Amino acid sequence: MSDSRIRSSNHDEYAIVVEGLTRKFRRQTAVDHVSFRVARGRFFGFLGPNGAGKSTTIRMLTGLLRPSAGDAVIEGARLSADLIALKRRIGVLTEDLPLYERLTGEEHLLFAARMHGLTPAEARGRTEELLEFLTLADERGKLVVDYSQGMRKKLALACALVHGPAVLFLDEPLNGIDPVSGRVVMDLLRRLTARGVTLFFTSHVLDVVERLCDEVAVIDHGRIVAQGTLDAIRAQRDLGGDASLEDVYLKLVAADVRREDLSWIG
Amino acid sequence: MDRLIALIGLRFRLEARAIAGSRGRKLGLVFALPALALFSAATALGAFALVRLVSRAEPGLLLPALSAIATLFGLSWAFSPLLAGIAATETHDLTRLMPYPVPLRTLVASSLVANLLQPTVLAQLPPLVALALALSGRQFVPAFLALSSGLLLVVAAGQTVGIALHALSRNRRIHDRVLFAGIGLGVLLSLVPILVLSRGGSAARRLLMTLLERDVFALSPFAWSARAAVHAGRGDWPGFVAWGAAAGVAVVAAVGLSTAIAHRLYRGELDTGQAAAGTSRARMRLPGVVGAVVEKDLRTSWRDPRLKAVTLSGVIGPLLLLFLLGQGSPAGIGPGQLFLVASIAGLGTVGSNALALERQGLGLLFGFPVDRLALLAGKNLALVVMRAPVLLSLTLATLFIAGPVVAPAVATVVLLAQVLASAADNYVQILFPVPMPAAGRDPSAPVSGTRGLGAAAISLVAMTVTLAVVAPFAFLAWLPQLLGETWLFVLTLPLALAGACAVYFMATSGAARLLVRREPELLARLRGDE
Repeated sequence: MSDSRIRSSNHDEYAIVVEGLTRKFRRQTAVDHVSFRVARGRFFGFLGPNGAGKSTTIRMLTGLLRPSAGDAVIEGARLSADLIALKRRIGVLTEDLPLYERLTGEEHLLFAARMHGLTPAEARGRTEELLEFLTLADERGKLVVDYSQGMRKKLALACALVHGPAVLFLDEPLNGIDPVSGRVVMDLLRRLTARGVTLFFTSHVLDVVERLCDEVAVIDHGRIVAQGTLDAIRAQRDLGGDASLEDVYLKLVAADVRREDLSWIG
Repeated sequence: MDRLIALIGLRFRLEARAIAGSRGRKLGLVFALPALALFSAATALGAFALVRLVSRAEPGLLLPALSAIATLFGLSWAFSPLLAGIAATETHDLTRLMPYPVPLRTLVASSLVANLLQPTVLAQLPPLVALALALSGRQFVPAFLALSSGLLLVVAAGQTVGIALHALSRNRRIHDRVLFAGIGLGVLLSLVPILVLSRGGSAARRLLMTLLERDVFALSPFAWSARAAVHAGRGDWPGFVAWGAAAGVAVVAAVGLSTAIAHRLYRGELDTGQAAAGTSRARMRLPGVVGAVVEKDLRTSWRDPRLKAVTLSGVIGPLLLLFLLGQGSPAGIGPGQLFLVASIAGLGTVGSNALALERQGLGLLFGFPVDRLALLAGKNLALVVMRAPVLLSLTLATLFIAGPVVAPAVATVVLLAQVLASAADNYVQILFPVPMPAAGRDPSAPVSGTRGLGAAAISLVAMTVTLAVVAPFAFLAWLPQLLGETWLFVLTLPLALAGACAVYFMATSGAARLLVRREPELLARLRGDE
């Protein structure tokens, strides 16, 4: 898309403006001309079945994967123009949890803080707070390689939060986290949006999405099949007002929910 | 029986898939199988001829010599799981089969049968037949049976060590130590022939003769089957029965021990638990982005057993080169040779593949909004620090060989060559990234999608270019020695180093700009997305 179109659509109220984002891997199109906007301070749910293109979209929007076509503007920083400026504004929790396995949790957070340009005192202070907040303080001296999946997820989340980003991209942030920590994280995310942070959030736990998100977009086979508030999508698809997000989602992705039993179970 | 066949089939399928995983390995197999057959045939002929020769010339030496050979063969085979890094491979990991309702007997039997059917084990059969023929004449069958029990013992011992290593490796710390010990042992063993061929040769020969004269290897269980075969060949049936029985007991003991370890694993009794957390507060002492990257790289490399081993074993190459130069020249090593070795040693930084060594952390690193020049400089500086043992060992060697005047000059040449090689390596790893094996695995092992020979060719070109760039600075550092005005070192050494640093920063600025443009592609390539 042309620069002028992106610029004209980059209104102040939008933290994320995406236009025609496409990614092809050889012959397969993983993300196909995806366009959407997310207003500042919104909790935006990005839903879709496995392999629909959610993680690929996040990797493109965070500068970790080059789009085959299209562009995006995040908090005024254009993806195709200034990746470093864009990375200054965002925090990312990707599905593959990129962590250094041979650093301790505490060293990891200190390192992330320093790489975001925090002073040593700020880095130390925020590290302490985050370790306490995410109940990782007792495991601070353990190498990441010895962390459980849930602990890794919390550490990666802490790394995404340490510099106080304006936009947070969270790919399945609650997966593998214990219920207590899950509640703590959800409360924190709510508080962040109340303070103007924009959250771009994927999850397969639809009741959590329904409770947290102001707006959702559903992607299937690389294309956006619906976007808006849950009420707006219900209205668009002629679903009753009491239809849950799960009902809406299953209808949107045309899921064939099998009802028959396995032959040997009878 | 179905399960036994299925388990053996699974093992072969996993091994075949490991080979078929990369083009390089497939190609390697095309050469390896005929080479193995050829080696087997040559060993068979050699063993036959040697046994016949010793039987005629020194009949008294036959038993001790065969015992020594059998012991060395048995020990090297038994500890091969440690050297080959089997502790890190899933193919030999019985614990992965524990969740299935497979009887322990079937598990152990499947492992033993699969081990016995390995091509490397089958390749031992022609030498065994040749040995039995050479030893026995008409008593071929008992001699062959005795020697076969020896092979069974060797395989069972290897299996015992393999299962024990897997059991221990369930604890990450022990796993790391086992890997480090394996690499260390491999490096030491690779040096043995060189040491034996040089000054240590006569001492080693004397020691071996003493051991043979006293027939010390008769105590080794690996030797008992060979001794039984010799007695069978001589028609000494009481001797055959005694040594044969001892060999049988050794086989039963080895299989029993591996079964006992597998049994404890099977019952979940060998879970050594998780590594304990450290209690001290973490600190990042070095300032700025460069400092943070250096500190992170040094910590992660030191804690990864494979990277640590690669770092430490890097010392051996330059020292070996010095040693060989010293052996080849009657006048000893001159300063010119020292400067040449210093320049070459510094080039070792090319091909470090430092960005790929970030593995999954690369996504995180590229996510930080930092100046890419600082990022590359940090990674290069960490690499230079990690290669400090090379610099120190060469400087110390120079101190002993050429005295204290030349040592700072040699150190400077190593350092400036490392700095310039880092600059060249930045381009190599940005333009031609090579994916790395997962953490804890051998960093030098091939990964599917790597270029193998192509990567080596690119590294060679980069080294040649770097050597050409290093040459004038190294010459400047060497000049006072050539002129016989060693006081000039005070001027030329800082000048050479400063010049190299200036070239480094010019080159790395360009590499940083290139990195900004190619980051997503680099990430996609190293993640295997493309």
